[in-house]
Amino acid sequence: MTKSQERSFQVLLFASLRDQAGWTKQRVMLPDQDLVTAEDVWSQLQLGPRPASVQIAINRELVSPQTLVHAGDEVAFLPPFTGG
Amino acid sequence: MGVMQEKITIQLHNTIFDPWLQLAAWSSQTAAAATFIGRVREVAQDGRPLEALELTHYPGMCEEIIRQDAQRLLMDHDASSVLVLHRVGRMLPSEVIVLVAVEADLRGPAQRCCTALLEAIKHQAPFWKREWRDGQGTWVSGNTPL
Repeated sequence: MTKSQERSFQVLLFASLRDQAGWTKQRVMLPDQDLVTAEDVWSQLQLGPRPASVQIAINRELVSPQTLVHAGDEVAFLPPFTGG
Repeated sequence: MGVMQEKITIQLHNTIFDPWLQLAAWSSQTAAAATFIGRVREVAQDGRPLEALELTHYPGMCEEIIRQDAQRLLMDHDASSVLVLHRVGRMLPSEVIVLVAVEADLRGPAQRCCTALLEAIKHQAPFWKREWRDGQGTWVSGNTPL
């Protein structure tokens, strides 16, 4: 693992959020000191206020917006589900 | 019950499947079985003809959520086995999108568990539908009514 991978995490977008942002997956560097929450990650994406219907998963489990993000995590933003 | 049948079987398919052949291969001699088969509609949400339906999912998380729901609902309803087959990718109208089947010792548990699991899949599993018409895709904003 490279130095940059040790200090970074992955962000995934799905469905309409992909179209809005123009990308599917990005690797993001963690700031050196500050604690970073999932909501902070959303704010950095510059996609506007997070709709209440957009859920957040870290490492494929749903979490609250205040959950801390750590190096190596996979943070995903999920529009409302429409399967079945 | 056949010795080869798993208690919970969950598969995502990116190509068309025949639900009846899949059911025949899966089913056992258990007293009661309930099944649901869902197909792609001929029309989009706005009522106009649908060209194709695209289904995106979150690999790994999607299968795990369905498995957790199936485990919980099997216990809640005292059912014995579950089969969930779900399409992903691009589908044409009338193609099968989902098959849910539940076996139990009694009809009530089989039917209730099948209904509950389908609703859980619709509301809790990370799938997203996009309707295609005239080369334009539109993300579906909600589930069809029960």
